[in-house]
This record gives sequence, C-alpha cells and structure tokens, in this order.
Amino acid sequence: MIELTDGARERVRELRALSKKVEGGDKGARTELRRALRESAPDVVARCSDVAKTYRGMLAEKMATGDPLFKEATVERAERMALELAGEHPTPLEVLLSERVASLWMLVELQEALMAAYYNKGGGTRVSVVLQMARLQESAHRRYLAAIKTLAQVQKLQGPSRVQVNIGGNQVNVSR
Amino acid sequence: MAWERRGGNLYYYQSERVDGRVRKKYVGTGEIAELVAHADETIRRTRAERRERVRAELEEARGLASAADELNEAAEILVRAEMVAAGYHRHKGEWRRRRDD
Repeated sequence: MIELTDGARERVRELRALSKKVEGGDKGARTELRRALRESAPDVVARCSDVAKTYRGMLAEKMATGDPLFKEATVERAERMALELAGEHPTPLEVLLSERVASLWMLVELQEALMAAYYNKGGGTRVSVVLQMARLQESAHRRYLAAIKTLAQVQKLQGPSRVQVNIGGNQVNVSR
Repeated sequence: MAWERRGGNLYYYQSERVDGRVRKKYVGTGEIAELVAHADETIRRTRAERRERVRAELEEARGLASAADELNEAAEILVRAEMVAAGYHRHKGEWRRRRDD
C-alpha cells in the first residue's frame, strides 16, 4: 500500500469538509475553500504526483517480470502518456488527473496480461479463479474510463475560459 | 487416502466421491500400496502448492489494484473542491455552473 503523508491526508480531509459545506449552501465557506485550495492544493497535488509515480513503478515492476529495460520503457511510456493527456500549459489538477489516467492505464494493461496468462494455462485453472481475475480486470477498466471522463470534464470546463499569464517567471493559469 | 492397520498388517485405502458421498476404496498392501500412496501424496502436495500459488497471485493482483486507492480518492476530492470553489455543482453526474455565480 502506498499512502499520502499525514499532512497531505489532513489537507485533503479539510478540502472535502469545506466542499461539503459549500455544496450544503454555506456561501461563506466558498471563500474559505478557495483560500484552502490556494494554500494546500499545490502540496497535495505534488504529493499525489509522487504517489502516482511510485505506483507506476510498482506496476511496471510486476509487468516487467525482472526485465529492467521493459520496466523502464513501460514507465517512460506512461510518463509520456500523462504529459500528452495533460496538454499544453496544464493546471496542477490536470497534471494530477493525467497522471492518474496513465497509472490506471498501466493497471488495466497489467490485469489484461495476467488474465491472458490464466487463459493460456489452459484447463487447469479453476473457474472461480478466472472469475475473480475477470472482476479485478473489469474494476480496473471501469476506474480507468471514469478517470478519463473526469479529466475530460475538467479540461472541458477549465479549457475555454482559462487564461494563462506569466507573473515573475511563474506560469499561472487563471479561470474566468 | 489412509493407511489402516489390521492384525499387524498395513492396508492402503483411497477416498473417492461418488454421487456426492465419500466412499473408501481398497487399494492394497505392500510395495504396490506404498507406490500408490507415494503417488497420491505427490499429487496432493502438487495441488496444494498450485492452490497456494494461485491464491498468492490473486492476492498480489488485488493488492496492486487497491494500492493507489487513497491517491484516487484524493484526486476526486481535489476535483470536487476545485469545481465547487469555481462555482459548479453536480447535477445527474455532470458538473454545471450555478446561475447565481
């Protein structure tokens, strides 16, 4: 199990609580939520990105079955996929979501490879085992598609109205 | 599979399931019975090892699938927070902008 740090976890809890308040109709909470996002989102996103990279390393290790070149190539392919998905001048959230899609893509690939291996074993594999593997594969695929949808929604909603400015050498994306 | 002692001699029996009921089948005694018993033990051990290997593989696959659950949850919370802060709300699974924002 790979986990967030206690600090990041606490900030995520705070963001969830504030989001619920805003959704519950507490208008004052929106200002507080915006402040919390400004202050904590970069840290949380950075931590989540680290976790995503570690996770991809774990998946690649399993997929490569001891072949270091294959492992590195798979990690690199996922990195490129994440970069392409994020597009030009992505917001930190788009970077995080793109990394999540790339990680889930690797998980789907791995589950499919495992499933194929079970089928290739022939008649010796019990039906219950194949069914359990199939469930894992379906779940990974569902999550992968859901992650793509979330990224697409965020890009669609942020994209057309986003303005990019450069302040003191730092690139800043502003939503109108 | 079991050895049974009767009158100082060992007799080997196999168990088999017939119509849902376990039935004891006499195999024999002496060297032949020992060979069959050895083969039975090898088959039993091989099956147990295979079951254990499959169980470990499934467990590992489950572990890999759920290892990043916290990351996925955090990403969803961040999306929700960003969207809510920007004045959107969820309607039937879609994000919509509030009219008063």
